[in-house]
Amino acid sequence: MLSLGSGGAKQTPKASFVSYVTPEEINPEKEPPKKERYPDLLPGEVVFCSASPILKYTQDELSQRGVFGTLVCTNFRVSFISDEVQAEDTIQHFKNKLYGENDIPLMCVDHIYGGYDDKKKLITCTLLKNKCPSKIIIHCKDLRVFQYCLTFTDEKDARKIFQGIVHHCLESKSLKCVFAFSYNANNAEMQRKGRTVMFDSIDDWAQEMKRTKGACRLVVENQSSELFQRLPQYFFVPTNVTEEDIQNAKKFNGKGLPIWCWSHHSGCALFKTAALPLMQEDPIPQAYMEKMLNAVAQNYLYSVKTEDLSDTLPSLQEVQLSYTKFKQFFLIDNSTEFWMSDVKWFSSLESAGWLDIIRQCLQKAVEVVECLEKENTNVLIMEEEGSDLCCVISSLVQLMLDPYYRTLTGFQSLVQKEWVAGGHNFQDRCNHLHLKDKEHMQTPVFLLFLECVWQLLQQHSPAFQFSETYLTVLSDSIHVPVFSTFLFNSVQQRVSMMTAKSPQTQRGPLNCPTVWDWSVQFDCRAQEFFINPLYTDKLRVDKLTKKSHRPKHTRQLSLPSSAFKTPPKKGFFKEETDSLKKMLRVKRLSRWMLSPDASPQASTAREFYEAWLRRPLDYHGVLLPLLDGPAVRVWMQRYLRWIPEVQICGGGNVALTNRLAELQGEVRELLRRLERQCGGGIDGGGPHHANAAAAHHHHLYDNVGPLPHLRRSSVRLSSSFPFASIRNWPFKPAIPTSMLQGLFVSDPDNMADREDEYTETISLV
Amino acid sequence: MLTGSRTTFKVRQMVPDVKDRMLSHSGHHTRGRDMFGLCCLPGECVLQRAVLVRKKLSAKEGGGWLSGTLFCTHFRVAFVPQDSPKPDDNADPVLLGDHDVALASIEKVVAVGPSRTKLVTPNSSLKFTPEELVLYCRDLRVLCFLFDRLTPDTQAVEITYTIAKTYQPLKAGTILSFQNAALGSIEMKQFLSNRRRDPDMNWFENTSDWEQELERVGATGWRVTSVNDRFEMSTSLSRFNVVPQKVLDTELKKTFAHFNEGRIPRWCWRHPRGSDLLRMASFQNNIYHEKDDIRNLELVLFGVQQVCVVVDLGEEMPSTADIQLAHTRLRALCLGDISASVSVPDDKWLSTLEGTHWQDYIRCCLRKAAEVACLLRGGHLTVVLQEPEDRDMNCVVSSLVQVMCDPHCRTVAGFQALVQKEWIMAGHRFLSRINYHRDSDKEEAPVFLLFLDCVWQLWAQFPSRFQLSGDYLLALHDSLHVPLFSSFLANCQRERSRRSQHLAQSYTPVNGLRELPQGSPQDPCDPPLPPVWDWALQYSSQRRAHFTQPVTQPACPPPLLNGNLNTNLDPHRHVDGMAGSVFLLSRGSFSSPSNLLPWRSGAGSGSGYRKSHRRAPSAEMLPGLERLLRACSLSEAGPEPHEPLLPLLLGPCVKVWRDCYLRGALHAQAFTHPMPSSMLHPVEQLAWEVQQLREKLAQASTTSSSSSCSSSSSSPSSSRTSDTLHIRRESRRSDSNLNQNANNGTFLFPSSRSASHQPPGPRGGGGGVHPATPPKAASRPPAVTNASPQPRPAGRDGPKHTFLFGHQPDNRPAQRYIPAPHTKPSRSRSSSSSGGSSGISGSSLQ
Repeated sequence: MLSLGSGGAKQTPKASFVSYVTPEEINPEKEPPKKERYPDLLPGEVVFCSASPILKYTQDELSQRGVFGTLVCTNFRVSFISDEVQAEDTIQHFKNKLYGENDIPLMCVDHIYGGYDDKKKLITCTLLKNKCPSKIIIHCKDLRVFQYCLTFTDEKDARKIFQGIVHHCLESKSLKCVFAFSYNANNAEMQRKGRTVMFDSIDDWAQEMKRTKGACRLVVENQSSELFQRLPQYFFVPTNVTEEDIQNAKKFNGKGLPIWCWSHHSGCALFKTAALPLMQEDPIPQAYMEKMLNAVAQNYLYSVKTEDLSDTLPSLQEVQLSYTKFKQFFLIDNSTEFWMSDVKWFSSLESAGWLDIIRQCLQKAVEVVECLEKENTNVLIMEEEGSDLCCVISSLVQLMLDPYYRTLTGFQSLVQKEWVAGGHNFQDRCNHLHLKDKEHMQTPVFLLFLECVWQLLQQHSPAFQFSETYLTVLSDSIHVPVFSTFLFNSVQQRVSMMTAKSPQTQRGPLNCPTVWDWSVQFDCRAQEFFINPLYTDKLRVDKLTKKSHRPKHTRQLSLPSSAFKTPPKKGFFKEETDSLKKMLRVKRLSRWMLSPDASPQASTAREFYEAWLRRPLDYHGVLLPLLDGPAVRVWMQRYLRWIPEVQICGGGNVALTNRLAELQGEVRELLRRLERQCGGGIDGGGPHHANAAAAHHHHLYDNVGPLPHLRRSSVRLSSSFPFASIRNWPFKPAIPTSMLQGLFVSDPDNMADREDEYTETISLV
Repeated sequence: MLTGSRTTFKVRQMVPDVKDRMLSHSGHHTRGRDMFGLCCLPGECVLQRAVLVRKKLSAKEGGGWLSGTLFCTHFRVAFVPQDSPKPDDNADPVLLGDHDVALASIEKVVAVGPSRTKLVTPNSSLKFTPEELVLYCRDLRVLCFLFDRLTPDTQAVEITYTIAKTYQPLKAGTILSFQNAALGSIEMKQFLSNRRRDPDMNWFENTSDWEQELERVGATGWRVTSVNDRFEMSTSLSRFNVVPQKVLDTELKKTFAHFNEGRIPRWCWRHPRGSDLLRMASFQNNIYHEKDDIRNLELVLFGVQQVCVVVDLGEEMPSTADIQLAHTRLRALCLGDISASVSVPDDKWLSTLEGTHWQDYIRCCLRKAAEVACLLRGGHLTVVLQEPEDRDMNCVVSSLVQVMCDPHCRTVAGFQALVQKEWIMAGHRFLSRINYHRDSDKEEAPVFLLFLDCVWQLWAQFPSRFQLSGDYLLALHDSLHVPLFSSFLANCQRERSRRSQHLAQSYTPVNGLRELPQGSPQDPCDPPLPPVWDWALQYSSQRRAHFTQPVTQPACPPPLLNGNLNTNLDPHRHVDGMAGSVFLLSRGSFSSPSNLLPWRSGAGSGSGYRKSHRRAPSAEMLPGLERLLRACSLSEAGPEPHEPLLPLLLGPCVKVWRDCYLRGALHAQAFTHPMPSSMLHPVEQLAWEVQQLREKLAQASTTSSSSSCSSSSSSPSSSRTSDTLHIRRESRRSDSNLNQNANNGTFLFPSSRSASHQPPGPRGGGGGVHPATPPKAASRPPAVTNASPQPRPAGRDGPKHTFLFGHQPDNRPAQRYIPAPHTKPSRSRSSSSSGGSSGISGSSLQ
């Protein structure tokens, strides 16, 4: 580590430095233009403080290489402007228009550490009495790690920038201070990304109901969120929920009211609700709850299953705890640390439990899918708030059952429907405002959902129109305080913020884009990375197999018709109501399932799952995840993209993508030639067809348009391609040398221990 | 369930007494199907049969169940799908059909009854009628057969018994009976002896083969010696070895005694930058070093270079016992065994995997190989791999180095030559390590499997740099478990050649199968067992078509002049280094211990070599390993073919070979995408599309629109009549496929146009692929037509070294999928593709 103070400044540059100008050289020269070296500010962005020269370390082992530049803190980001001129060939193809690779949006800051001498201290309080650290280490929520050395800067400047950063990143602030409120891009009149359904009007909801062919009653009374604060503006309830019931529900603050999520093509539907605590003594909520359940049951075939997620899934605290542990493996200060973790990589990943939580969520979703798909019963999922794990499960179920949601717009609509309009507490769950009293509420629920989607995506990639990169970018965008999408706790809060004119803040109504307007962040070429080239369009498949084009939701012939099924069910229900009533006395609602004990339930789900496995995989039908040990994997692109050590240089997926692009280019070229040839008039129908084909192919291959020129550019690609270019490749051997020691020197005891475990297993096998 | 009822009656009428064992000798109707559809091998007989059996298909095969008939012969367990097409009678027999498994690779037979499961051993008796039969194989496959309710109970019981009794050689040596069963008949022998060897790969069996290799890599200063021609010098070495030119045979003879088992330092490979890779066993220490010997020893060790680095593989690499233990654990983890009822919970899977240490060993091997590769890259060194026995880890590391550095070794032919050179000829103890005879349990260790996994890791990280595919590696992995191939059935060349001269291979009737006396009269004119590289013997052409990737590296390697790249690139040359410096690379650092070369540390004074040799060489002379590695990782900018592929070895980067280890686990059968190697799939599709487009273009330019042919109408029916599984897989593929493909079909071959745009005559079958279901066979050019037995010439059609040295035009590699429009189906790769597809549709039409 560099020594503190002036001694450090006098150090002669080491040979390994990339660009190294001694501070003595910098100070006189760079002083005058210092103030000019600001980033290209966004409209509405204001610089708070800046300091230079700051040394930004490259992620490396002990060799303290780095780049000098200016550190700027604005009301949007912490930005580092390198003194180095960017080389020609390092143009990023996947550039974010809002923030560059050395910028950290304030909301994206996870933790700040101060480096004092050789100690690293977590900065928690914003009032800093002690002396300014020599080093700031910033951990970002998108898993980047930045290390800035302050020793070359003026003591005063250093203190100012340090306090500025800490203050603006960690201090609790009011919602009004979020950058989105200052951001006034002149493209204010942005056309709504046409096809994403925003679910902020009655039409959107009615359309959705029509699309899924469900039959539920739209409740519009909550339009101004007067009735229920926690419920969406518009929502559907089962037709049997009366006006009176809704008024009744006011007593319970909307809890227990079954909110429609999605209708299966058979007629049964998925509902979610916030759980109503049922007390043995109090008959009123019980009666109310029973009525609600009956209403759900009457939606289709008089059957209902309830699923209390707080019983069967890990609590939100557990989720948060597990994620905190998990992400620690990827927030790497220096490569040595990463290599040390390497020997125990798998077991440490496992010990965090994050992968298992993902598995549990997927498992639960499979169970719900089974109820809807196989048993055709209505399902009511519930949890305390009704907007956390309920959202995860209901969105996953819809993703698995409905191919529409696997398209890009469909997926965005789904997020909009279940999460944004559905009232997920984004603000509290992400703790955007760094409120101390909300810290316990912080849980990466939405990230958990994206993780589950990623698992599905990597297992069945041709089924999804969007790519892994899209999900990664989406997960990053949660922490970009420009978009209104993930900023609020509820629609009601959003609406009031967006419309209220508050003269005292001198800020107009909030007018910021939604995250779905990707053009704010990326240009068209970069957006093409969002499209999965492997996606098979249903329409094309249909055309191919000469099937008539069917709407997305049609009754499958293999399913038994409802007419056949109804009578026994009805009879069954009579008994069920009795048992329902009986069991209503029992607190745990999850036991109300048609099959009262849990083990048959699990076994039927297993059966269903196996039956699904047996059938040929239809990418446009039900899609279930694989859940066994090896199937649930680490989202490499999200978690490992910033760690150069795991980026395969010139190999991995990029190599294949490049190959694809080359071939596609060749196809295009051939098509063009063919077109020209046929244009010469070989036969009458020829040119026409060729044109159509060519046009079509153009459309198709434009998906991967930006890639072909990559192979010609001298940028070295690595397996984490769109995000990290290889430029910062450290001068390190590609092979961990510490591994072997761990293996053969420090491990023998461990191995002996394990040997015992193993002989057991093996002897049993 | 009852789909096959009509057939049931038929079968029952035909077989009134199912209790009889069906000993239908196929000798009467050889080369045909018996009446139940099994295409017997020459001399193969059916021991037991069960009708109305359903086989569970793995995800790769399309999932679901396939109904058909199950057979147990004394060679294999065969499954014939109900409506499989009649095989071509003229086709060469394939030892194992797509659904078959050799008895010898079965490890465990488990019968699943209504309420319980039972491990069936040869002596056990079943007290229930099995509903399901699960066969666990040594190659980590799991086959699951389900008996129908209409399957006669006796058949279900009997076939279970039969398999359980036959599958495993009971005592040491009974493996011979298996070989007899498989290859015993006169016809089979004739067939085998007529088989042509793959002329395109290097077998390293005679002097010219080695010379060819020396020439290929441009190694000068080396010669092939036949001093060990009669295995007098070393029993485990091959007949021919490469030694420095300066050493005469008479001098060479004296050096053998100085090395363990006489395994002297031998040349393996030369890096384009002029470094040589050698391998040797450990020194014999208790031997007196004569003056004259020492000069020769030095010469043999240093080769043509001045600096020699000895890489000691003895200490750092996992021992064979470690490997065996790790593999056993890995098997236990991956092969969810229903009879054991011990399964790893999903949330403990990763740590259990870590606990197997299998991946640690992979990393260890790859790491060592990467170090050696970087060292070689430094140029003008001799790197000598040393291992006490020189028969295990030396094989792994030396071949890995070559895979990393030499693009030729990443082609199928090159890889086969590599295995031939570094494993088979070098005397890896395949027989003991695989333990076919079950008599060397202590020596058993899947070293070769470890190597294959290492190669797979490289393949997974750099897929586009390989010509061979994951399927090829998998096929090699599987064939290791079939004790039929001469390649794996001996510990060294000496044994192998002895065996091929006189091996008990007389045909025995099945009654005497297990009573076969050991050491029965031997027929000296028996053909040798086939080599494993005879892939046509094992795999159908469809499967072999998957052995190579459709498109190989487009950037053709620059021509090498005499094998020596311009080494001025590297500042750390040691041309003028101190003569005869020797270093030890151990634990990632160089040292020069005085006792490294026993003859130097011994009688130092007055010995024959120059004085300077006694000066302790300083390790400073060599660039640090770190720097070498750094130079390597930095220079790996473009796809320069000679730059080593340095794999990443960090925890997240080393993967599980799912296609191999996890395909069997029943719970994970639907694990992978239903199409093989899904990652590559788009490439195949596009390659196919390019091919089609080029054809189109050729047609358009020749404007031979007058010759319309009817194949557009005939090919759909042909694809319909072909193998059910094939279609099944195909349709799965096509609807799960890329839209490119779909569109291709729709737009490039509209039926109205295809009539007027059909290619003329001979290529009709290939060109007239129906738009709706582009058959798989057409989408990738099949490896060979039925007539030629060897795998497709690997990505080149000239003499061997063109791949590396040839001055190829830029678009050369692309030619694999570009049929030259009007060449006749000849040896040319490109035309064989269209010829092959026409062959297929033609044969299925018959």
